[in-house]
Order: sequence, then C-alpha cells, then structure tokens
Amino acid sequence: MVWIWIAGFGSVLFAFGLARFFRAFRSGPDMRDLPPTPLERLGWIGLMVTTALGVGLTILVGVRGVTDFVEDGATRGAFYLMLFGAVGVWFSAWRRLSRPTGTTVIDERDRAIQARSFTVESVLVILSLVTWTVSLTEVFWQQGAVPLGYLQLIFWSTFIAGAFGRALGIVLGYRREPSVDA
Amino acid sequence: MPKARIDNQIRRLRFDHGEMTQQEPADRVGCTRQTIVLLEKSRYVPSLSLAFEIARVFDQRIDEVFRYVED
Repeated sequence: MVWIWIAGFGSVLFAFGLARFFRAFRSGPDMRDLPPTPLERLGWIGLMVTTALGVGLTILVGVRGVTDFVEDGATRGAFYLMLFGAVGVWFSAWRRLSRPTGTTVIDERDRAIQARSFTVESVLVILSLVTWTVSLTEVFWQQGAVPLGYLQLIFWSTFIAGAFGRALGIVLGYRREPSVDA
Repeated sequence: MPKARIDNQIRRLRFDHGEMTQQEPADRVGCTRQTIVLLEKSRYVPSLSLAFEIARVFDQRIDEVFRYVED
C-alpha cells in the first residue's frame, strides 16, 4: 500500500516537473518576434545532434548488447562513425554561424547564457552518473563485479548527457528573463 | 532587496537620431540586435560597460539614457 502511495506521489511530481520543463521552452511574449541569435541556433542544433546520438547509442547497445559494444570492432566502429558524424555536423554548423558577417555574433548576453548553461550540464552529468551507479549496483550486486563494457557505456552516455545539458541550458537560457547579473 | 528594473530611453533616442535602426547601435556597441530589442523593452539589464557604450552612441550621459526604477 505504501509503495502505491509513493508511486502515485512520484508520478504526480514527475508529471508536474515535465509540464514545467516543457513550459520553460515557450518564449515570453516579448521574445516571440525575435529571430534566434547564432548561439541559440547552435543550441537547437546541439539538442538535435545529441538527441540523435543518444538514440543511436541506445539502439546500438539494445540490438548488439553491451559485450559486443566493447569486443566487436564493427559495433564500436558504427558508434564512432555516429560520434564523428555528430561532432562534424555540430562543428560545420558552428563554423557557418560564427562566420564574420559584419554584425556581432556573440555578445555579453549570449556569454552570460552560455556560462549559466553549465548548471544544466552539471545536473545532467551528475544525474547520469547517479543513475548508472544505482542501477549497476542493483543489477550486479550478486555477481560482485560489473562487466568491463559498462565502463565505455558510462563514459559515452555521460559525455552525451553533458553535451545535451549544455545545449539545453543555452536554449532554456534564452527563454527566461535574461540579465548579465541574474 | 526591493525588486527593481532599469528603464531606458533607447527607443526615443534612436528616433531622435534620424530613425536609427536597432541594428545600427548594436553594431556600434558590439552587441546583437536581439539585445537592443530586449533593452528597449526593459527585459534585459546590461553590464555597466555596455550601458556606457550605448550612452556614447547617442552622445548622452549614462543617467540620461538609463534610469533605475523601483517597483
């Protein structure tokens, strides 16, 4: 009975958090007509690229298994191909958006938003590490050891979570009332 | 600490200076047009150096452009 209450309360809390999270993506009325800054565009591209990479890694590990991820060269190669592809897409977008056009590309407001996005990044990195630690401890408690393949998985998933968090922090930063001293 | 905002006269000054576009002061002070738009709507509190730069574009003192308003 207690578990049902905890689960119910947790679900309500989760739904509330999710609703607030998606509400944060809506621009304020003053900002709706504004074209996105280059950094905001880069944030959206980063969100798309890291989401695609995360989904790709999940599918790859889901289909081939954790052991194959380390031992099978083709599986590892497929992941590295996805990784370099994602980094390539992001860098070419960055180069295109930061090309000198005579107007300022990044100003103090962008830099403040960029600096604050580190908070979202660190939260997601910690969340990823906590999730891995708790779930691996629970799953492999009896065996007393964690297969080596998970080390790679922990690193790459945390790396993707961090990059996703940075992009998310940038996108959300443009949606709240901005100020350099906030 | 009371909640306050920084009001400014940028929109009026732009029109007084030959209907300057928002891009023009942005280019002269080295910020994006989006920042000028938000400044005009008092939705962004600039750094002191940016405030001085903007005042200089319009040949005004900083206190003639920006005003501290307590809500």
